[in-house]
Amino acid sequence: MYTLEKAKEPTRKAFGIRLKEYGAIDSDFVVFEADIGASTSSILFGNEFPKRYFNMGIAELGMTDAAAGMAAGGRTVFVSSYGIFLSTRALEAIRTCICYPNLNVKFMGSHGGLTAAIDGVTHQATEDIANICTLPNMKMAVPCDTNSARKLFDLAIHTAGPFYVRLLRDAYYEIYDEGTEFSLGGSHVLREGKDITIGTYGDMVFQALAAAKRLAEQGIEAEVIDFYSIKPFDYARLVASIQKTGKLFVIENHQRRNGLGYEIADYLITNRYYILYKHIGLADTFAESGRYQEILGKYHLDGSAIEEEVKKMIDTCR
Amino acid sequence: MEEKEKEKLSDIAKHVREIILTMIYEAQSGHPGGSLSVADIMTVLYFKQLQIDPKNPKWNERDRFVLSKGHACPAWYSCLQLRGFFDEKHIHTFRRMDSILQGHPDMNKTPGVDMTTGSLGMGAAAAVGMALEAKLEGSPRRVYTVVGDGELNEGVIWEVMQSSVKFKLDNFCMIVDRNGLQLDGPTNAVMPIHDLTQIIEGFGWYVQEIDGHSIQEIDKACSNAKQKKGIPSCIIANTVKGKGVSCMENQLKWHGRAPSTEEYNQAVREIRNGGCRCIH
Ligand SMILES: Cc1ncc(C[n+]2csc(CCOP(=O)(O)OP(=O)(O)O)c2C)c(N)n1
Ligand SMILES: [Mg+2]
Repeated sequence: MYTLEKAKEPTRKAFGIRLKEYGAIDSDFVVFEADIGASTSSILFGNEFPKRYFNMGIAELGMTDAAAGMAAGGRTVFVSSYGIFLSTRALEAIRTCICYPNLNVKFMGSHGGLTAAIDGVTHQATEDIANICTLPNMKMAVPCDTNSARKLFDLAIHTAGPFYVRLLRDAYYEIYDEGTEFSLGGSHVLREGKDITIGTYGDMVFQALAAAKRLAEQGIEAEVIDFYSIKPFDYARLVASIQKTGKLFVIENHQRRNGLGYEIADYLITNRYYILYKHIGLADTFAESGRYQEILGKYHLDGSAIEEEVKKMIDTCR
Repeated sequence: MEEKEKEKLSDIAKHVREIILTMIYEAQSGHPGGSLSVADIMTVLYFKQLQIDPKNPKWNERDRFVLSKGHACPAWYSCLQLRGFFDEKHIHTFRRMDSILQGHPDMNKTPGVDMTTGSLGMGAAAAVGMALEAKLEGSPRRVYTVVGDGELNEGVIWEVMQSSVKFKLDNFCMIVDRNGLQLDGPTNAVMPIHDLTQIIEGFGWYVQEIDGHSIQEIDKACSNAKQKKGIPSCIIANTVKGKGVSCMENQLKWHGRAPSTEEYNQAVREIRNGGCRCIH
């Protein structure tokens, strides 16, 4: 179970603070930034450890290749930018020069999904899970609050090889206490329920919890799972939950196509779990500028959308 | 340029600045610094140099314009609105849901916007394609793009430097809004470039360095560029980030931050009066 308090800072900042703290614990790793350190928070590290901080200018592709070179000797390198630029412009460098040789490069990709709603499509990383997770050797995690961001930093730096952490632009809620552990391929059940499993990650965790609360008032007990480890994924937890509920609803702030929901559907069918399944995300469309919550509503990705879709699923079983 | 015309354009530029601030203030989001630094350049382009028809935004023979530093789109939207490409009411919808004025330029939503931009570097490269197309069609239309000085960090800009020369794009004019600042700091600190003029000349361009807030110099440089045959033109416009609002001038923090009510009122007053100093 969890607590829900207004967060003081977004995960991009919490991650940046931990990056800085860890700089004093481990004197070996370095950080590359592409002129948005003030926004991603990597500047916190840069101010403390200027010699280990390389601001490469607005040059995401070259920066990522330089990170590969720095990591080629075995050193751990963090690369910071907005998720959209890392997962598109720098993609070939990530694939060919980092994932293929399996180098120790960790990515902090901020403004994941529609959390950059107000800036518009050019800044919304809505295909990052697809582009990044498809790469062999890559691992990916998505924290949703301060403590998970801190813990997933530690996980990233202690896990060999390329690792991408999807960060969020704005502050939402605090869920986890300091003592909660996060592991590679792990997940957390935030709310237990017998009627349906809701699987999600990142900011959608809050939308799902809000929906689950309203569903409970209508007699539907949803089990909400934060699958913060996108790759590798906690299939054991998923299976245990759906064996209880028999229904799975997946929501993600990402394109539906090739998102986590596609991966899960493939797993379910391959392993013959023929359950009631629904997956929502961006429906093969670009979004637009606007306030975060309004945009989620318009693109059918908010708590109300979850509530509506889950009720439809429950109804088909009645 | 006659004094009267200069005055007229200066007045329009003031108006453009005021609309920029209104958009960012009302949206409580956006980039005032780089919008204000490019305001005079955009004014000269839209009210003097560009061959365009607001009634027929897709007129094939129009000159093309690409704001490669797309975050400065409030300046673009202001000029388009004042030129009559769309109604004034849209100004108040900037960055809101269902708006034709997106957070970064969208060529399918805003009349007069020729290319979708916001990811730095890409607009300039797309402009090369437009210039190539004009050549292919044997059309006299011209293609203009404005890039930021921080944007010059992007590798693709230097691909543009090469291809424009190879294809003799004398119908292509790149204007660099050299305001000396980018997001994380002064351009000189984040990624220094020594002697930009010499470097771009070295690629084979016709380069002019001007005061990017002098209406006459901007106009003259654009006209000179038109005369130059066989090579692309680059205008290095020395500007001040946040120009026109003293408390925003040369201030890094005004790169991407919206003014409060008090700051907004004060800024508008200053622009209208043309020079009263900010208190803080
Ligand atoms: C590819 C890309 N990387 C990063 C950004 C984020 N960003 C927006 S504006 C900006 C600084 C731009 O500096 P400059 O080109 O000098 O523009 P100006 O000073 O005129 O605002 C950055 C890094 C972006 N929009 N696109
Ligand atoms: Mg600049």
